[in-house]
Amino acid sequence: MASLSELQERISSIKDTMKITNAMYMISSNKMRKARESLSNTEPYFSTLEDIIASVLTHAPEVSHEVFGDSIIHGHISNMPEERRRKGFVVMTADKGLAGSYNHNILKLAEKAIKEPRRSYKLYVVGHVGEAYFRARHYNIDETFHYTAQNPSLGRARNIARAIMEPFMNNELDEIYLIYTRMISAVEMEPVITRLLPLSREDYADTDGSYTDVPMFPSPEAVLSSVAPTCVVGYIYSALIEAYCCEQNARVNAMQAATDAGQEMLHDLSIQYNRVRQARITQEITEVAAGAKALKRAK
Amino acid sequence: MANTFNLKIYATDKVVYDGECEYLALPATDGEYAILANHERVLVAMVMGESKYTVDGEKKILFTGSGFCYFNDNNAVIIVDTAERPDEIDERRAEEAKLRAEERLRQKQSKNDFYSSQAALSRALSRMQEAARHKRGI
Repeated sequence: MASLSELQERISSIKDTMKITNAMYMISSNKMRKARESLSNTEPYFSTLEDIIASVLTHAPEVSHEVFGDSIIHGHISNMPEERRRKGFVVMTADKGLAGSYNHNILKLAEKAIKEPRRSYKLYVVGHVGEAYFRARHYNIDETFHYTAQNPSLGRARNIARAIMEPFMNNELDEIYLIYTRMISAVEMEPVITRLLPLSREDYADTDGSYTDVPMFPSPEAVLSSVAPTCVVGYIYSALIEAYCCEQNARVNAMQAATDAGQEMLHDLSIQYNRVRQARITQEITEVAAGAKALKRAK
Repeated sequence: MANTFNLKIYATDKVVYDGECEYLALPATDGEYAILANHERVLVAMVMGESKYTVDGEKKILFTGSGFCYFNDNNAVIIVDTAERPDEIDERRAEEAKLRAEERLRQKQSKNDFYSSQAALSRALSRMQEAARHKRGI
């Protein structure tokens, strides 16, 4: 059995750790509240954007591949087999660990997607954790975006959009995927891979076909060229916000679990401590009593 | 009462307006584009500038970033990256952004960075212009 001082040391160290986890719990629950708020603020923007992409842009006339907006929407992959496509991946991780399985899940999914056989790929990483992970495994990271995971803003989304649209427009990449964590409900989160570029999707194309041509002002070329980048930035921004919200949520859960586990350990240890203490007292009494008896007999 | 149509203005960080409106004027890529009720279906690309709309005869002005407006079946949806009321514009922030962009433009930089600084500068300038116009009461 462990000695009293050993037990005491463990108890005090658990208490110290609990102070930290508890503080982190409070901080991240505060941050989560803010993140939730901004998530619910972007929700209508994002869903309407998706609707419009699905209903209007996908059915926009294919103007010509020279037009900037057109290739963003339709791309040049129509007849390309899956394994011939050059893909870009934007992986959104956190800047810090201690968020349960949040980073692990997203990185596992990303790694699986990257390992599929294909001609070539480019990797864009948001957040320190992902960067460290891919560096350690000798993946070739094309660009990292720091200070983005902690404070998602429109400007940062613009930077990312610019970085990924350039190789796409220069015909160095055929498809670009976003890998981030999606919030399904307050407790349920799921890492997902969604295609960002080209914007049109096969599953949009076969919706009942009731969409007629929408007149565009001033011209289809001008509208598509200005709308398409907006959509890309909007998409990235929403994904950043959602990922951030999930990160805070995961951290709140992880810290809650850690604090609970700490409490359980403290409970067990204090029982053990009391038992050891009791055993020692009993032993001392026995010793004193035996000593007294021996003295008496000697007299 | 005049004919009205439903207008929704979504910025990335908030729902700016959701309700009936009588008249809408947008900063399109080559000039202002106005929409009244029962307009035909249209998709209008918007550049940074003033969007005006009228609710119950009262004229409202918003300073909007780039985006687009989709009008369909008497429902207008405006999707822009930013939308602010003129009195909400933070002039000092715009001024700082302008200085930052000018500083960046002076330094040697790649073509890409040049475009991004230029875009940032034009955003800051139009914000400041809008704020100044608002102050003069136009």
